[in-house]
Order: sequence, then C-alpha cells, then structure tokens
Amino acid sequence: MLKRTLLAATIAASFCGASQAAVDINGFASIKGGMALSNDDELYGYDDDFSFKNESLAALQVKSDLGDKLSVTAQLLGRGADDWDVKFEWAFLSYDLTDTLRVNAGRLRTPFYKYSDFRDVGYAYDWSRVPQSVYGLGFDTIEGASLYHTTTLGNFDSTLQLIIGSYDGEEEIGGTTAEAQIDNVTGVAWEVGQDGYSFRMAYLIGKSTFSINQLDTPVSGLYAQLTAFGLGALAKDLDIVDESSSFAGVGFNIDKNDWVVVSEITKATVDDSFITDQKSYYISVGHRFDTITPYVSFEKEDNTAKTELYAAIPTASPIYGAVSSVVNRQQLERDSINLGVRYDFHPSAAFKAQYTSADNKTADRKDSVLVVGVDLVF
Amino acid sequence: MLKKLILIPVLALSFMAVANVAVIVHPSNAAALSQDDINKIFTGRAKTFTDGKAAEPVNLTETVAARADFDQKALGRSSSQMKAYWSKLVFTGKGTPPKELASEQEVLDTVAKNPAAIGYVSAGAVTGNVKVALTLN
Repeated sequence: MLKRTLLAATIAASFCGASQAAVDINGFASIKGGMALSNDDELYGYDDDFSFKNESLAALQVKSDLGDKLSVTAQLLGRGADDWDVKFEWAFLSYDLTDTLRVNAGRLRTPFYKYSDFRDVGYAYDWSRVPQSVYGLGFDTIEGASLYHTTTLGNFDSTLQLIIGSYDGEEEIGGTTAEAQIDNVTGVAWEVGQDGYSFRMAYLIGKSTFSINQLDTPVSGLYAQLTAFGLGALAKDLDIVDESSSFAGVGFNIDKNDWVVVSEITKATVDDSFITDQKSYYISVGHRFDTITPYVSFEKEDNTAKTELYAAIPTASPIYGAVSSVVNRQQLERDSINLGVRYDFHPSAAFKAQYTSADNKTADRKDSVLVVGVDLVF
Repeated sequence: MLKKLILIPVLALSFMAVANVAVIVHPSNAAALSQDDINKIFTGRAKTFTDGKAAEPVNLTETVAARADFDQKALGRSSSQMKAYWSKLVFTGKGTPPKELASEQEVLDTVAKNPAAIGYVSAGAVTGNVKVALTLN
C-alpha cells in the first residue's frame, strides 16, 4: 500500500514537469543459487537441496532532492529468505549543513564494518557475500541520526561518521531467537584513504537488553528459578538487562596494481551476561584480470564461553546442567575458507561463484557450500 | 555469446582508434585543473572548481567510446569499477553520479551553455564554444 503511494508520488513527480522535486529511482538485485555439498552440511541457510531463494534479493531506492540541501531516501528491499516480503531497509532524510558536513536521520545502517552500508549491494564488491564470520553479528540497522564529515587531510580523504540511536528487533542469540534492544547507541567510524589504500576504525557502545523466552519468563525461566534457589547474584551475572556493550573494529583495504586486499578485525562484548566476547577477523586477497577477478579469503571466529560463570556451582547441583548449557553454547571456534571469482560480463551486472568450506572446531564438523549468481544494479 | 563475439572486434577497433580525451569547461571558466582535480570532481569528492565555484560534471554514457578512455585515463579505473564505486554511494545516500549524456555533441552543447559545467569529449571533437581545461593522453 505504502509502496503504491510512493510509486504514485514518483509517477506524479516524473509526469509533472513543473515539480521542484527531482526523483531518482535506482535499484539493485542479486539472483543467487546455491547448495551445501554434502548430505549433512548446512551453512548460511543452505542445505543439500539447491536453493535460488536463500540469498537472492531485490531492492528499489527512491531518492528525492527537495532542494535547499534537503533530500529524502527510502530503500525497499525484499529477500528471498523472507518470502520476498518487502521492508524498508533504509529510510532517512539528509541535510547538508555545509559542503563537508551532512546529517542523516531515520532508519540507517549501523556503521560496524567497512561494507555495512552496502552489504546488500553485491555489485559493489567481489565476493558472493560479505564474510559472515565478521558480518554475522546482527543489529545491522539502527534508528537514529548520524553526522558525516568528509574532508581531505593533506593527500588523504577522510570520512568521519558520528552516530546516535537505538536498535529494537529480533536477533539470534546462542541458537534461539531473542527480543533484542540496544539503547543509547553512540558510535564513531573513521575511514581515511589515499590512492588505493584505506584504513578504517569503528567504535560503538550501547546498553543491551535481550529477552529469551526459556531464560527470561518471570516464573518458569532460568533466571526466576535461580533467584528462587537463592542465586539471584548468578542470575544477574547471566541475564542481559541494560548491560554495557561495545563493538570495536579495525580494517584496511589495498587496491593497487589490480591487487585487492581487504581485512577486518572485530570484537563485540556484552558485560555482565552469558554473552561471550566475540572476536572475528577475515583477510581476502584478489587479483583483477581485466573483467575477471578471482579471490581467496580466510575467516575466523574465536569465541570462548565464560565458563567462570558456573565454576563455583557443584556439578551435582540441579541447576548446573541448565546454566552450563546456556554459557557453553557461546563457545565457537570456526575457520572458513572461500574461493571465488567475479566476472564483469555486462556493464551493469557481474557473475559470481564462490565456494566456502567452514571448519567448526567446537562442534567438530565441516560444512561446505557453493553459490553462483548474478549481482546487478539498475 | 554471439553478441560477445561481435563485441570483441568492435572493442579492438575502438581501442586502436583511441583518441586523446579533452576535458572541457565553459569559456568563462578560468580555473586551473589538474588530473587529480578532475578525478575528485568526477568521483564526487570535490563539489567545486579550484577557484571555489560550484562544479557540475557531465558524463558520457557507456555506449560512447570516449567514456571508457576517460574512466581509464582520468580516474584510473574501468567503467565497471566506476559503476561499483558509485553503487556504494548511491545506495547509501552518500552521493549521486554525474549526469550521463548520450553523445559528445550533447556534452559540447551543455558545457557551452553552462558556466558551471565540466565534461569531456574526444580531442578531435572540440569546438570553439568550449575551453579545453586539460588534454588526457
């Protein structure tokens, strides 16, 4: 319905020559098919049945320049994995305070990573998907405001972004869906580059509250039972109520003489909770041979469960099993290797194929997946 | 596939026939422009000429041969790399690529009329109604 209204407005604007508002419509799409390569393998939503739906997506963006340095942008995106239900991925207004200062307000991307802003626009990078070990944290969008400062420092181009806002949505925590809320998000991201080299750092903090049914239900939940056992302090050490949280990331990118090297290292923490410190990195190396860019990348996740939380509980205790299981589920050591290629076969489209093998040392299993597809912009 | 086979000789021909690219501005524009300044204007990193006046870059569509020459010589990237570059900015609300015109004649007309415009054409196409700011070899 909303979509139709937008469309109507767009059509009206484009037919009405006298209209002040210049409306730009752009879009992008990724049509991808993939499957896990063995019977029991499962990775990134693929199993051993070939799926065209899992990672395909299409988006339409409408940007209207309202004049006097004000513009409004809305991006509608439908993912195959969500049955193509269309959602507003971005919706914000922009105001240019000066030539170098811009304010964006509305629904924005959380600026965790180098590719956060355009992770869905496959055409903008060589991989079939952004490295999930690093980019799989969640909390990708935020409602708030952000200030961009772009300038040159000597020979360097510098982009500084300050952001405030909050997150409210569902996230997967330790294999279960949680109602997640992060309040008072405050962050800074800075990217500086020159002639094919760039460096980026980001730091964000916030107050996290995650509610998981089995743990948080007032009477039957784990925390309620611990409190009933006289272990209110332990419940507080485990639960996630208004806990200080942080995200730190650094990364660099080299694009020189047709070599493309990218790496990011990140760490996310939620204090006083069973959520462990999540440490991840990736490094990717590719080489451009005219229209064909093969690459190889390595990813690592290394999350050590906070076993000290239940160290004082005797193993014979009736709560030991429940508490240790919640804590231990945070343990994850996983290495992934990707081999892939991008082929620019068309001015607006790229064909890509990527093979991934993930070695989950914690669960002692290896999963591999192959995906092929086309990313395009229009 | 057939299309590709036809494209290869056409591309080869157009590369052999490569002409220098002339970056052109309005005759009244006195700003001195280096290749780096032009790069900044055409990648959206500078919004003004070196003298502080607003710059309005106009591009050629990919169907015109001078476009690939310009992308390579002035910006150091292929046309697909430039498209990837702009898609990062467009879909994050950070920028809008220069307007694309369908022919060198349209670029010449636009630049001749608009004191803020900056464009480019193959060197042989330059007329007296515009000023050559820099020739890229």
